[in-house]
Amino acid sequence: MLSRFDYFKPHNLNEAMQYLVKDEKTFVLAGGTDLMILLRRNLIDARHILDIKSLPETQVFEFVEGAGLTIGASVVVNKIVDSELVKAKYPAFNEAAAALASFQLRNRATVVGNICNASPGADLPPALLVFDTVVNIVGLNGSRQVKLHEFFTGVKRTVLQPGELVVSITIPEPEPGEKSTYLRQARLRGHDLATVGVASRLKPDGKVALGICAVAPTPLRLFALEDQISQRGLSEETAVWAAQEIKNHIRPITDVRSSAAYRLHMASVLLKRGLLKLLGKEG
Amino acid sequence: MTDKQYESKYKRVGQRYNRKDAQEKVTGQALYTYDLEFPGMLHARCLFSPYARAKIVSIDTSKAKALPGVRAVLTGEDSDILVGLYMQDKRALSKGETRYHGDIVAAVAAVDEDTAERAISLLDVKYEPLEPVHNVDEALEAKTLVHDDINHLKHIEGVFFPQKDSNIASWNKSRKGDLDKAFAEADLVVENEFSLPAVAHVPMETHVAIVQEDPYSKKIRIWSSAQSPFAIRQIMADSFGISETDVEVHIPFVGGGFGGKAGIHLEPLATLLSRAAGGAPVKLRATREAEFNTLPTRAGMRGRIKSGVTKDGKITAIRVNYDWDSGAYADYGVNVGKTAVYSGLGPYAVENASIDSKTIYTNKVFSTAYRGFGHLETHWSIERQIDILSQKLGIDPYEFRMKNLLEPGTRTMSGELITESSGSPKDCLTAVVKEIGWTGRKTEEERQREWKTGKVRGKGFAMLQKAPAMPANTASSVIMQMNGDGHVKMMIGAVDFGQGANTVMAQIAAQILDIPIEHIEVMSEIDTRANPYDWNTVASKYTFMGGNAVIKASKEMLRKIKEVAAQALRTEPEMLAHAGGEVFHVHNPERRLSYKDIALGYMYPGGNSIGGPVISSGSSIADGLSNLHPETGQGLPALDWTFGAHAVELEVDVETGNIEILKIASAFDIGQVINEKLVYGQITGGVVQGLGSAILEGYKFNKNVQLMNPSFTDNKIPTMKDMPKEIVPIYIENPQHDGPFGARGVGEHPMISVPSAIGNAIYDALGINFHVLPLSPEAIMLGILSGKKEILGTDVENLPGH
Repeated sequence: MLSRFDYFKPHNLNEAMQYLVKDEKTFVLAGGTDLMILLRRNLIDARHILDIKSLPETQVFEFVEGAGLTIGASVVVNKIVDSELVKAKYPAFNEAAAALASFQLRNRATVVGNICNASPGADLPPALLVFDTVVNIVGLNGSRQVKLHEFFTGVKRTVLQPGELVVSITIPEPEPGEKSTYLRQARLRGHDLATVGVASRLKPDGKVALGICAVAPTPLRLFALEDQISQRGLSEETAVWAAQEIKNHIRPITDVRSSAAYRLHMASVLLKRGLLKLLGKEG
Repeated sequence: MTDKQYESKYKRVGQRYNRKDAQEKVTGQALYTYDLEFPGMLHARCLFSPYARAKIVSIDTSKAKALPGVRAVLTGEDSDILVGLYMQDKRALSKGETRYHGDIVAAVAAVDEDTAERAISLLDVKYEPLEPVHNVDEALEAKTLVHDDINHLKHIEGVFFPQKDSNIASWNKSRKGDLDKAFAEADLVVENEFSLPAVAHVPMETHVAIVQEDPYSKKIRIWSSAQSPFAIRQIMADSFGISETDVEVHIPFVGGGFGGKAGIHLEPLATLLSRAAGGAPVKLRATREAEFNTLPTRAGMRGRIKSGVTKDGKITAIRVNYDWDSGAYADYGVNVGKTAVYSGLGPYAVENASIDSKTIYTNKVFSTAYRGFGHLETHWSIERQIDILSQKLGIDPYEFRMKNLLEPGTRTMSGELITESSGSPKDCLTAVVKEIGWTGRKTEEERQREWKTGKVRGKGFAMLQKAPAMPANTASSVIMQMNGDGHVKMMIGAVDFGQGANTVMAQIAAQILDIPIEHIEVMSEIDTRANPYDWNTVASKYTFMGGNAVIKASKEMLRKIKEVAAQALRTEPEMLAHAGGEVFHVHNPERRLSYKDIALGYMYPGGNSIGGPVISSGSSIADGLSNLHPETGQGLPALDWTFGAHAVELEVDVETGNIEILKIASAFDIGQVINEKLVYGQITGGVVQGLGSAILEGYKFNKNVQLMNPSFTDNKIPTMKDMPKEIVPIYIENPQHDGPFGARGVGEHPMISVPSAIGNAIYDALGINFHVLPLSPEAIMLGILSGKKEILGTDVENLPGH
């Protein structure tokens, strides 16, 4: 590890924000599962490491009726896997969390970190996208909220400005009677990055929401396809139609993990299977 | 888990003992090379070539040398020492030109790893990238030579055959019968090509070496995670121009090797660093990334097979070409290539055959031994070809194999006569085929019907054979000493790096001496100053050769005990029997002595003593082996053939390409089980490792021949979740008359032919023949989508560049 850095663990948000603006080479540490790789492979030159785990704002895991579930930036992924509330209200999120990496990594990796790392193939964003998740950002000059589908700007890039910190996310309360699911393909059953991951959500009014990863520079919410499905009404026929149509909405690439052709195919299969599952018909 | 059905006829041989080192390992007390610390020890780091092939224009080391804490900075200009097992083609540090992405360009020794790494980052190297040799086809064109000094490389002559002005490190051949005539007379001639990529060994412990060169005596002291201490001793002595006795090699506990640690790797460079640092011990450890990218792999291979058969299913002719992509250096790769000319037909009796096996230099990561030593690769070709032949003939693949398998009276490719003592391929095949309930291939109608459900099942099987690949003069030896308590300490020359050698040797000695296995301690650290010689810990040869040496040493120990006891008991040694650590008169058992009464010498009541400490030794040498004829490949290269077969039932998801292995049954004719738990472990471990090669693993290079998956992120191995639903090991025990208790080796074999059996089962399921590994979900799915019945492979080298 070539980086030589100072480590700072602030007691409150104000201290954290003051430290964050010290230097553009300040990196935020929560779970550290992505940061440690960057440091060990000398892919970044860190001067300051800001450990946010002791900030009370980042430890929130709270469901408020009407408002939804707020998850602080220090909450680890296994918390989502084990949460009965998440299982009941946000099944797709629970399934995506359970699919992420390995048990040991999920014990450290945070939900917010998985978003802020902005990997195109991250498992949690598709599920969070379909629930209209909002990102709660704090800066020195106040706070702002950004919808998750507007948060990602490119591979490993987000709307976050220097001096800004994601403190938490809020997932709005779903309506009673909703269904959702997250399906993924990987190279093996054991721990692996997703080749493709598809989240789908069906609301009681018949509206469908779709999120997908590893098929574009950022995780995507497929608004246009959702509209087309809603217009047709979700049915077995629509699921089969959508599985073909999705190819017009994504642009996967070939890389070391998969060919574009297989990603296109699997996006189609996973979407069909997801929609059929929402209809109670396992594909 | 063990096979509860198995019962041994012996009291100790064949029983289910725990590994002798199990407790030390699981409680964390076992010390590995990396755990060792010495006063004044330095830590090394290397700079690796970022290019597959580049001219090193200049290296500025001044900033690195000026960094406080740095003790030595070396480049290729500092030493001309050449190293190599069979071909001296590798420098400890590249000079002039780099030959693969990961070749070592410079190295630093410093007071700690961080300082060494910082120094590495301060090296300023100017490269001039050169067009690399991408693959075996380009290499065979020989427009660019990976080693332009190939005509002058020192090698073992008469065994390996480097070709002039080429990239062929060795071209080995075997010939028998009249091939042209046989093809002309065949009813059907079928020609196919199969291939598979390079694969990593992935031992839990990466390579580590600590070396100190004494600046005064020039003696070299090595502590290493290596499998073959005596090979390292000999090669270091050759390369550094000193006596073997002046090289001291210590092997502490080793965390797996799978052949990757069979040769010599980090030791020469660590020696040069120690020399440059004034004789301080230097520790050089491979990071996990370096393990993938810098240390050697299993070679990629292409097999081209032309077979002639009669209508009724007799194979009359085979012509085989194996092209091994050995990467930048020959290492064990040339011996893998050589082995293929006598074992590369699989366990079949074919009268007319030829094999040409070329170990070829390219600008990829270099290759070495890997569990199976080329046999997983050759059997991937042979056993898929056999299956395709049976398809074309319309004969059941079980019947087809049974018609052609080796049996007593037939001869192997090199002309060796098979006898009852050789073991039985047919027994293995019959056992596994029965276990999966084979009733014949699926019909196209059955396939179509299942296809509509989205999941199709298939069954398939494949044969395998392997004998140790080793020189005709391969030897093992053992020393046994008895302590005053009647316990025995044993020193062997092989390294127990996970395969269980120490436990197996203890059992054999315990069986003969008739004492509890707990009373035998096999010294777990090898020290070439003290332990007796063993060629290499490779080739699945140690149960056989070490076992025979231990039998001799144990019998000698028993003889010495009985000689002293006979004097003490006033009888003849022939009148004495032994049991439970005691010797006694055969007629009058009250005349008896315990081993411990004799262990350090027997003392009469008056104080007079006889005998002295009981020490014995035993040696074994590969009995009857001969070198192969350079042109025909005829000769006797095999000490013991272990035959085997796998049968698989699997299910393919035809929408995703995912495969689930429902059951795999694996039978090996091992002659005699020595330790049932260890055999069970070898089989299940080997099957899963073979599964990795079958459906998952493989190096991927971009168009510049840079390795694209040099870490666990993208170089995956199977996990617990990827295990087959059921693994059924089956032990066949047709004894080998010169094996220890009739036993043969089985260390490598379980991995071999797992891909072949899976490939054959996928044909049964889908009606598609896959010719290229791995059979990943992606490969299967794109194969299905292509609508073709023969899938000749995807272009894995066509990945985008960095």
